[in-house]
Amino acid sequence: MEVAMDEANDFSRCNFSTAAAMDDYFACAWNNWEQSVADVGPFSASADADDFHDLVESIVFADDVDYDPSTGHFSLPQSPSYNSNTSTCTPVAEEEEHNATATAGDDAKGLRLVHLLEAAAEALGGVHKCPDLARVILVRLRELLGRGGEGTSIERLAGHFTDALQGLLDGGRTSLRDGGQHNHNNKMEVLTAFQLLQDMSPYTKFGHFTANQAILEATAGDRRIHVVDFEIAEGVQWASLMQALASRPGTSSPHLRITAMIRSGGSRSAQETGRLLAAYAASLGQPFSFSQCRLEANSERFRAAGVKVVKGEALVMNCVLHPTTTAARRRTTGSVASFLSGSVDLGARVVTLVEEEVGEGEEAEQEQGRGFVGRFMAELGRYSAVWDSLEAEFPMQGQARAVVERVILGPRIAGAIGHAYRAEEEEGGQVESWGEWMTAMGFGKVSISCFNHSQAKLLLGLFKGGYKVEETATNKLVLGWKTRRLLSASVWKPPSPVLLPVIDSFEDSDFLFD
Amino acid sequence: MFPSKKATTMNSSSHERPPSVCVQGDSGLVLTTDPKPRLRWTVELHDRFVDAVTQLGGPDKATPKTIMRVMGVKGLTLYHLKSHLQKFRLGKQPHKDPNDHNSFRNSTVDLHRNAASSSMMGRNLNENMHMMQMEVQRRLQEQLEVQKLIQMRIEAHGKYMQSILERACKALAAESMVNSGSSYKAPAMAADGQLSAPIKELSSSMSFPSLQDLHLYGSGDQLDHHNLDHSFNFSPNSSAESIILGKSKRHSPCNNVNGRSSWLGWGAALGPSSSVDQEPYSKCDQLLHMALPVIEPAGIEVNPMANVYETKPVLSLDGTLTAADDQKKYDGSSSSASKLDRPSPPPRRAPLGMEMISPMMAMTQARNLSYG
Repeated sequence: MEVAMDEANDFSRCNFSTAAAMDDYFACAWNNWEQSVADVGPFSASADADDFHDLVESIVFADDVDYDPSTGHFSLPQSPSYNSNTSTCTPVAEEEEHNATATAGDDAKGLRLVHLLEAAAEALGGVHKCPDLARVILVRLRELLGRGGEGTSIERLAGHFTDALQGLLDGGRTSLRDGGQHNHNNKMEVLTAFQLLQDMSPYTKFGHFTANQAILEATAGDRRIHVVDFEIAEGVQWASLMQALASRPGTSSPHLRITAMIRSGGSRSAQETGRLLAAYAASLGQPFSFSQCRLEANSERFRAAGVKVVKGEALVMNCVLHPTTTAARRRTTGSVASFLSGSVDLGARVVTLVEEEVGEGEEAEQEQGRGFVGRFMAELGRYSAVWDSLEAEFPMQGQARAVVERVILGPRIAGAIGHAYRAEEEEGGQVESWGEWMTAMGFGKVSISCFNHSQAKLLLGLFKGGYKVEETATNKLVLGWKTRRLLSASVWKPPSPVLLPVIDSFEDSDFLFD
Repeated sequence: MFPSKKATTMNSSSHERPPSVCVQGDSGLVLTTDPKPRLRWTVELHDRFVDAVTQLGGPDKATPKTIMRVMGVKGLTLYHLKSHLQKFRLGKQPHKDPNDHNSFRNSTVDLHRNAASSSMMGRNLNENMHMMQMEVQRRLQEQLEVQKLIQMRIEAHGKYMQSILERACKALAAESMVNSGSSYKAPAMAADGQLSAPIKELSSSMSFPSLQDLHLYGSGDQLDHHNLDHSFNFSPNSSAESIILGKSKRHSPCNNVNGRSSWLGWGAALGPSSSVDQEPYSKCDQLLHMALPVIEPAGIEVNPMANVYETKPVLSLDGTLTAADDQKKYDGSSSSASKLDRPSPPPRRAPLGMEMISPMMAMTQARNLSYG
């Protein structure tokens, strides 16, 4: 079985100036891998049992993959020779900074890891599902990666994805690599890691500040503001909103009421959050009240009737889908849809939406077209950008980063992969971009003000560089790292109730006959 | 330079013109007396010129001949008018010819100022320029405003995060007190892994860079354990630790501002369990050093604060609340600090670690916790 990869490779575009520019590297690698995967025996349509067997054997029985640094080739002891595509890269690297040659080995290894990960994803959720092969590949990956928590940046990243895939294989049991730590991280550790992440990156603040500014602008003259929050989490977003309200020059600050939508079991933590928020508001002298509203028990649907509305208040709905703290259970499509469409019933003034941005460009299209594998690679791309961003901003704080990775990002990765895996099973399919959904539903766009845009830019300016914010639509700001778009914050105006009909399709059939 | 001080003379120094004498002729024109008699375009003359041009429908419509006719000034030749008109037309463009005749330059400046008397085009240009200027001004103002506001919002965000952490910490401390009796072990450390304590320390020590530290921030990543960047001008004594902690006073036992020795001393003060705790704290120490780059330079506020740190007492077993004194000191110094310089951390917040270490103190600290 030949793994024909050489012809497919063209690294002339690759930039090797820093080892940390893995993102660019991956961009090349994936595009080239596209062609090569098509040639790989077991994964092609005409899978042959023998080819499969050979591949399994070659992976399993390889003592170690031989790596020849001079040529950049590495090969398995048995044929086929697994030519890496670094052969053309090494001379290129030498032209660049001299230390690039030293890292060519790392790059090669990184590439190998990526290939293996993709192969495993393909085996698990691709066209021809083959759990055994996936298992084997994961074993190999674990061998290559060694103990969790160590190794280079790319190794740690690959480790988390390996764990995620392993979790899928094991059907929900915790991963084995780090001794099943995931679910046992105590709250302090999670919160602390979360704070670290917030300090080291603008992801959280970007979404929160943009949404808050939009809310402030939409409710500029109102005396009472009512925010219905889809995911209250720790309520971090509202601290800066309260501060902004309390320090408005002139008139006294308006009354802020926050209604948190909670799922079953979330009542206690929401109460805690409410208390914290109330305490903070008190310290600012900001009039504040907090209440909870349950989502429906099983379906987690939103019922507009459940929200207490006071006459004369300006109601805004806030929907932050970007996972903030722990890798809480992802929201179902129906749940989010019901929330967003509930804005119409409630007569909300604006709806602020923060969600993860799907990739961009041809890469993304290719990825999407391939189902689970596509989404897996998209997540790999996303998180490698996040990894890069953390490393580039804080190269010296390796340990802090490792903590953030382990405690926050690792579980998120597992959640994302699991979510992608269950895509087909979920009723109504999955919505990739809620922004698009809202446009389709007739939501109007509320433009992002100059102020808001400047705020985002300033926020990013606090970091070294590499982050950028784009205004991809009049109502949307997108935060990205280098070329990768990561997070978007958008502001919408609910359509008038007349345009409802299409939205009903998301409701239970029973509901229609009320 | 010019002997004549008549009204018709120049109203500005002609630094580019060779010295010459002006003579006023009968027609009211001022001619110079150098070899080539040159007409001096006085303000008055220029105004008449401009009027004529306006009458004729603008510099593009007017011709020297027609201008001459309209102006009706004796001694004015087509030649004069031709060149002046050309300059006038050029002067209408935003880019001005630097070799312009002095009076011409001045009068075009006057022209811009006297929007009413200028032609349509001039007025538009004038307005446009004003609008542009105003727009630029407005943008700058907005930037500054955004900067101010974002600083406050980041600060609010940080304060709130801090409160969450403290609340959780307290809960944990209370829990551990219930569970493990009189142990002073940091509860989180008992839970899982050595890193929990350092994580907390690290979190409190790493702070969001302030807007003013942008440029300095970049130099930060050269720092490591042993190598302190001298761009951070601090006294050798206060050392890296005070730099690390310059930003947020909300830590921590790892606030080894008094040098490492105090740390260990503190560890020892905790009693028998301290020997177990030593190791993780030193790890914490490492982490703190790693947190260096995030911190702002000593220049801004660490120095005034350094005294505060210096006097920060070592925690002692009997739980004497010398920390409370610190609180007051924090209050005092921070209020003097300008809010706008950087998001100054809330001074009243108790160092995170103190609660962790001593549940007893945590209770008393709780009283001091306020957002002010």
